[in-house]
Amino acid sequence: MTGFHVDAGVLTAYVEGSLADVDAWSVEAHLDRCVACRMSIAPDASTALVLDAVAVSLGSRLPTQGRVRRATASRRIRVLVGAGPAARGAWLLSVAVTAVLTAGLAVSPTVVPPWLLLLIAPALPAVGTALSYGRRTDPLHELVAGTPQGGLRIVLWRTLAVLAVAAPVAVLAGAVTGVGTPGWWLLPCVALTALTLALGSLIEPAYAAVVVAGAWAVVVLAPPVGGVVVLVSSVPGWLGVTAAAAVVVYVRRERVGRQPA
Amino acid sequence: MTTVSVDGLRVSYGKRIVFDDLDLELGVGVHGLLGPNGAGKTTLMRVLATVLRPDRGDVRLLGHHIGNPSALRQARRQLGYLPQAFGFYPRFTVREFVEYFAWLKEMPPARIPLAVDRAIERVGLLERADDRMKHLSGGMLRRAGIAQAIVNDPRLLLLDEPTAGLDPEQRVQFRALLRELGLDAVVLVSTHLVEDVVAACTRVNLVDGGRLVFTGLPDELIAAGGDDDSGDSPIERGYTAVLQGARTAPR
Repeated sequence: MTGFHVDAGVLTAYVEGSLADVDAWSVEAHLDRCVACRMSIAPDASTALVLDAVAVSLGSRLPTQGRVRRATASRRIRVLVGAGPAARGAWLLSVAVTAVLTAGLAVSPTVVPPWLLLLIAPALPAVGTALSYGRRTDPLHELVAGTPQGGLRIVLWRTLAVLAVAAPVAVLAGAVTGVGTPGWWLLPCVALTALTLALGSLIEPAYAAVVVAGAWAVVVLAPPVGGVVVLVSSVPGWLGVTAAAAVVVYVRRERVGRQPA
Repeated sequence: MTTVSVDGLRVSYGKRIVFDDLDLELGVGVHGLLGPNGAGKTTLMRVLATVLRPDRGDVRLLGHHIGNPSALRQARRQLGYLPQAFGFYPRFTVREFVEYFAWLKEMPPARIPLAVDRAIERVGLLERADDRMKHLSGGMLRRAGIAQAIVNDPRLLLLDEPTAGLDPEQRVQFRALLRELGLDAVVLVSTHLVEDVVAACTRVNLVDGGRLVFTGLPDELIAAGGDDDSGDSPIERGYTAVLQGARTAPR
């Protein structure tokens, strides 16, 4: 508190009780006001024992510490990717639906025709992504939108979460149907998801998913069935769609995952 | 610079104009935001929380223009926001919920574990920190919401109806926390309980019909009321007197 501190030798003498009364009073008056000098008095052995016991009993009265996770980079990724139960639900949905269909097709192509799988598998990640954010489907939307990681950043984290599970399933579906090369099934997955994100910056994400999935259904169902192979195999076409959608997302990045006013 | 300044704000939902040409200045301290239902308290909170984009107007938070994306990100790191109604993920524990927001607010990782527990402790929820959100009562949920708002030690804290659902004892504790937070941050609290304002706020702002009709000390609002104004307490009489005056005065 003050610029003046009691000399260490004087303090020792005070603790030992060898100071004259008048001097001891003035040291005490100073100790009342000065934290630094008070802290520099080492407690004797018996006082130290009492202090330790008090500290232990105070500590035991605190609630248990619980699981405080160390804030590592991997913890960050786990929290940001895995946090949205909306995204987790979308995972389950896409995996379950596609797995059932794939199994059905493997059993008999007449029970589940290949075009049905082509209709559903690439559209699932798009729908899952749209459900993982947005005012209507994410209960935390309002809170997340006001954070620096909100908006496009958290939407991309959740998209990653959905694609990580849905895309391999789509590739598996491709392998089972024999429509195109399995790896090509990734392209419509990514392209439709990017389209949904782009459209989701203009309208409510859930509606964007409905529009994109609807358009995909028209594309798959409208032409004669022979056109399907051409469609899935059109690498430049899908890359073009993905690139165009990515440009839109970049230009409107401040609007992705945030509510249009 | 720890201030909020709003200049010529215009906000509308479709054709309904909520604010037209609103000016507001806030400094460090606890500011009460009062007004009748539908006056635009929540809308103003959402604009300041950078969740709702205004049609027009200059909004500066802590010296950052929110029109500029990188400045906006800087401002959001120092922002805490508790909406009036907020959802939660039922399977999250309180600690996971608060930790999630610590990461979303881009806090330095080394600070996160302690800051999470400190925020939960400050709202008195440490005993329930590992309980799932779906098992909490309404008042506890609100306190968990306050914990996520203060986890990053925000310089600007926006609380929309934070005392709703708190019992009288918790309300008293919460006011003490407010006064503590208002020592070095801009705290804006919207409420319909005028007694909250007297107990915890250093300044009062009153909005009505899309305008700021009063700004000043709680004592000044009390002084505005006369004996013949309606209300059960001095500040309620002041509140109704100012509203009446604003509505009868020519625009």
